[in-house]
Amino acid sequence: MADKEATVYIVDLGRSMGEKRHGRTITDLDWAMQYVWDKITNTVIRGRKTDLAGFIALRTDDTMNDYQEDDSFSNISVLSGLKQILTPDIRKLQEAIKPSRTYKGDAISALVLAIQMITAQCKKLKYKREIVLVTNGTGLINSEGLDQIKEKIEEDNITLKIVGPDFDDPESGVKEEDKDERKAQNETLLRDFIATLPENGIFGTLESAISELDIPRIKEVKHMASFKGFLSLGNAGEYETAIRIPVERYAKTMVAKPPTASSYVLRSGNEPGEGVDPATAQAPVEWESLVTIRTSRTYQVADESAPGGKADVEREELAKGYEYGRTVVPITEMDENITTLTTFAGMEIIGFVANDKYARYLQMGNVNILIASKGNQKGSLALSSFIHALFEAESYAVARLVTKESKPPMPVLLAPCLESDFEGLLEIQLPFAEDLRAYQFPPLDKVVTVSGKIVTEHRNLPNDALQDAMSQYVDSMELDLKDDDGDIIDEVPIDYSYSPLLHRLQSAVRWRAINPNGAIAEPSATLTKFSHPDEELVKKSQAELEGLIAAADVKKVLPKAKGRKRTRETEKPLSGLDVDALLNLEPKRAKISAENAIPEFKQLLSRADTVDSIRDAVKQMVHIIEEQIKYSLGDSNYQRVVEGLGTIREELVEYEEPAIYNDLLPTLKEKMLSGRLDGDRMELWWLIRKGKLGLIDQNESESSFVSEEEATKFLAAV
Amino acid sequence: MADDSNTHEEELFEEEEVDETNFRAVKDAVLFAIDISSSMLTPRPSNNPKKPGEESPASAALKCAYHLMQQRIISNPKDMMGVLLYGTRLSKSYDADEESGADLSHPHCYLFTDLNIPLAQDVKDLRALAENDEEFHKILQPSDEPVSMANVLFCANQIFTSRASNFLSRRLFIVTDNDNPHANNEQLRKASAVRARDLYDLGVTIELFPISRPDQEFDTSKYYYDIIYKAEPCDGEAPVYLQRESKSSAQGDGIELLNSLLSSINSRSVAKRSLFSKIPLEIGPNLKVSVNGYLLLKRQQPARSCYVWLGGETPEIAQGTTALLADDTAHTVEKSETRKAYKFGGGQVYFTPDELTVLRDFGEPVIRIIGFKSLDSLPIWANVKHPTFIYPTEEDYIGSTRVFSALQQKLLKDNKLALVWFIPRKKAVPVLGAMIAGDEQIDENGIQKLPPGMWIIPLPFADDVRKNPPGADFTPAPEPLIDAMKEVLGQLQLPKGVYDPVKYPNPSLQWHYRILQAIALDEDLPEQPDDKTIPKYRQIDKRAGEYVLKWSAELDAHSEKLFGGSAAPSSTLVKRGPRASTDSDQPAKRVKVEIGASDVDGEIKKNMEKGTLSKLTVAILKEFLTSHGRSAAGKKADLIERVEQYFEEKS
Repeated sequence: MADKEATVYIVDLGRSMGEKRHGRTITDLDWAMQYVWDKITNTVIRGRKTDLAGFIALRTDDTMNDYQEDDSFSNISVLSGLKQILTPDIRKLQEAIKPSRTYKGDAISALVLAIQMITAQCKKLKYKREIVLVTNGTGLINSEGLDQIKEKIEEDNITLKIVGPDFDDPESGVKEEDKDERKAQNETLLRDFIATLPENGIFGTLESAISELDIPRIKEVKHMASFKGFLSLGNAGEYETAIRIPVERYAKTMVAKPPTASSYVLRSGNEPGEGVDPATAQAPVEWESLVTIRTSRTYQVADESAPGGKADVEREELAKGYEYGRTVVPITEMDENITTLTTFAGMEIIGFVANDKYARYLQMGNVNILIASKGNQKGSLALSSFIHALFEAESYAVARLVTKESKPPMPVLLAPCLESDFEGLLEIQLPFAEDLRAYQFPPLDKVVTVSGKIVTEHRNLPNDALQDAMSQYVDSMELDLKDDDGDIIDEVPIDYSYSPLLHRLQSAVRWRAINPNGAIAEPSATLTKFSHPDEELVKKSQAELEGLIAAADVKKVLPKAKGRKRTRETEKPLSGLDVDALLNLEPKRAKISAENAIPEFKQLLSRADTVDSIRDAVKQMVHIIEEQIKYSLGDSNYQRVVEGLGTIREELVEYEEPAIYNDLLPTLKEKMLSGRLDGDRMELWWLIRKGKLGLIDQNESESSFVSEEEATKFLAAV
Repeated sequence: MADDSNTHEEELFEEEEVDETNFRAVKDAVLFAIDISSSMLTPRPSNNPKKPGEESPASAALKCAYHLMQQRIISNPKDMMGVLLYGTRLSKSYDADEESGADLSHPHCYLFTDLNIPLAQDVKDLRALAENDEEFHKILQPSDEPVSMANVLFCANQIFTSRASNFLSRRLFIVTDNDNPHANNEQLRKASAVRARDLYDLGVTIELFPISRPDQEFDTSKYYYDIIYKAEPCDGEAPVYLQRESKSSAQGDGIELLNSLLSSINSRSVAKRSLFSKIPLEIGPNLKVSVNGYLLLKRQQPARSCYVWLGGETPEIAQGTTALLADDTAHTVEKSETRKAYKFGGGQVYFTPDELTVLRDFGEPVIRIIGFKSLDSLPIWANVKHPTFIYPTEEDYIGSTRVFSALQQKLLKDNKLALVWFIPRKKAVPVLGAMIAGDEQIDENGIQKLPPGMWIIPLPFADDVRKNPPGADFTPAPEPLIDAMKEVLGQLQLPKGVYDPVKYPNPSLQWHYRILQAIALDEDLPEQPDDKTIPKYRQIDKRAGEYVLKWSAELDAHSEKLFGGSAAPSSTLVKRGPRASTDSDQPAKRVKVEIGASDVDGEIKKNMEKGTLSKLTVAILKEFLTSHGRSAAGKKADLIERVEQYFEEKS
């Protein structure tokens, strides 16, 4: 964890802060507060009790501080002492932060107060101390005693940031024309003062401070070793030639999780009537009206005598167990760890592999880094020789890692990591046999025909022109990446690409905390920087892209073409035998049989030449389905029914006859729900809903007269 | 604390393979149909003098089925499997009256294992059958009259229809050495072609595992081309891809036959399920092709434990349901009533459901190339999770395959990668990915090991990269020491210099299911796990031992020179005989705890022998345990017990 923090904000509320300048639509104060709130909410969202903030308002109408008897401390109000800032504090501050009616109040006196606050709170303890002063510099500033202040700031190691709107800043090119004379004087005074604090002071213009808010801040995580043990080669227990090097393991990459939302429910009494009215679900809610939710888990087993066929059982009555196929294997408490493989912690080298033969895409999971155990120079030397040897031999090691006793072993790859001031071993997770799924795909550089012939010219294979155009395009789109400082980066961009969801959610939460009714903003440009190719690059490679598009000759499949019944060609076996002709010879296939319903239904359709014959086939099929429902003991036939109904639907979409389906479904639904198909078939309807087998709407089939809305409504209604 | 498995559950949630557009259950059913003819039952001796033994094709097929059944229980616990023998003298299928009164008798078809999620007993029976146990002797008898293939196919049809209704994937594995079952009967041949068409229309894929006879090569075109349809009916445009199966059906040799059959069946054991389908791959503005995505790499974990109710006749799983309760009134809350809010400053920050959707919305699914870079620009550590495999489909854009192929070949040839902005599905969070081309890899049996295509490796964001840990001051090793270590490395290359995952089954996963199987079948528990990840210690000693000693001497010398007497008194080399541990020996490790001139191991052993372990400090006990890979958690008594256990195991 990072250090404790104590930050005091001094914000100028003087009358002049309420003015809008240089064509801006907001006042200096509102503008300054964007910066201040961002800093504050950034602290609050971390939710740490050890992050303290205090708040001093400068040039207020009243005076409210420990030295208020002293005239030089007038028109300064301490709005909040150093404490952890919570939402109510933010609300209180928001109330208080308004431009005053006065021009009086000395910034340097406020600075003295801030230093006092920090000293009183932090004493000599380990804190990160900071003072942020935001002023437009139009007030009267008394430069007396600046020497002592400088000494104190350096002694306590306080960081002092002074930021103001339209402060001149040669670096960012901000220069205010017709600057007020007093402001110019004050700016010079403050800038010179900061210049005497090379280690502790920062002076800047508000413009650049605000533009920097866009750069996401990365949370640093404390290093925690996930394994401390030995990297070993050979078995030390049995052989004298075994090597054991003490190492520690730390995370190198670990996905930073976006903030997660918790579930709440509206405080009872606030709920208007039953259920949730869509209108209120969208209305903003004050957080005070939300109640936390807890969960309770109950267990049930099948019991035919119980209502609903299920009986509750107590958690205490249950044993632990596993499934082996369909067999349930209970495990007694005594045998609890019986299925756990006995292992002992360690990192044992299995062998070495050549890095030029290594398949980079067979890596799983996050990466860790191993370093030699601290305080063991010899071990460190030994590890160093191992790291360098791997590097020089262009090899990686494969090892078996068990992080703790009884944890499952894991195969890992060890790769050397040599940096100017760091040496370590990168540890990468490798797959086991079971982790690799053997899905097969045809080759991409040749086509194998049915007869086993290898073809190299085919519409699915690129011809020379396409290969050539692709090659030129790829070369023209070579990325020259530069970092924020304009330096060229050889690696893929990692250091300056930021987790979009994490930062978007965080800034939305912080923004909403300050602006409860504000609309949420688009993701910042920094987050979506890599969502599209660079415009310059696109322009540069325009000619190559056009060449590629021409050579590729890619055509979009029109939605309508997708709906057409597939061509007959694909329904022939590999030999091309005309099975349809054989089917026509089977007279009994005119009537769909229950036991071979789906194939016979499809075949009947493929032979249908009129809409009436399609209608007739569907009618037969629906009859079979109704029988299946009727004779279904509980849910025994439900999957078959869903399959049958789904097949009818699929085929009718393809034959562009959605109306037939849209006519039959309401009748079937009515029969099901009214109990006319022998009993309660609610669960079946639920399955049909889940399978999205509702009415065919216009999106799915152009010839449908049912709108999407109607279809949704029909499916939802019971 | 970092835990390697902590993201598991979330990933499951994120990456469940779903077919959003289909009403069918994403499940797979495999029915083995094994031909039991006299030629299939004739054992074939092994030609390899090193591996004597004989194997009949039928027995090889049954062993494969048994092997697959065990494997699928682990890898696809929700999927079904069955075994149908045909051409048998006996017949057994569903009773005629079981299904709606139709006549379902299928002569010479013997349904040995009904299509279902296997029971432990099914596994046991299949094993017994494969090992030709007496009990099942009468089943493996060929019938005198030939079986009608139409009947076999219809029998399979009925099994699929009733047992695997609404499954997305239904596959019939036919294992036979008869390439022309109805050579002399045109009628039966035609009838079977019709029944095959029924299966096709039902959505059943036939996969043939042909076995050549010693005197005759299996000719698929004689009969089976009338039975088998294109492999992927959903993608009619895709070119036919035939396995190199003719090669795999080894002639003559029984053992070779078993191996090639196993390899061939393994390669098709999993039903191909896509992670996403028809996502545009945007090669440049105005140039899109469509691709499907697959998860070819995923950590397989044992299924989670469940609660079992033992009050009934057989153990039964208790189904748990979670109810949500409001904290103030303890009233039940419906999911639709809940609101999401973020904790902030002691309170909550609330967004409407619509706003939450907007916040997570970064656009439609896409794989958008934003440029190309050399493969070297991808550091090996730039990894946070498994990659996604993509392969072209012609479904949305005609010409996708050839364009994809051109890109893949170009990237392969020039060792380049494409940087992509990747949103795999609706509402998914974008990642920046490195898309790299993968070449097809074939194993010794001609079976594809890795498919050709492209892999998208999600890159870590700046937020996901940790700084290097603050290490001790390190001293880069001097050249002679590095050279000595290089000698060691040189002796211990893995075969062909590569890590082949197939050679390393997950020992804890296998052990978990091995034990469950033994308990379920009431068998003796196995004693030793088969753990291929344990290094071959003897070989390491034999091959590299002498070089290790040289390196060690070098290390001692340099250490002495560099650090002198101030060096931590620790050697990294273990100089101990198996049983001859004495105080004078160098300790294996000593980091912080220093106990006079002696070492931890020696100290512990001494006290162990005297029975005075309890006099030692907790720190020493912990250090000893940790250095032997044992847990050092718990009270002193627990630690002592574990130390005693350690010595018990050793003796």
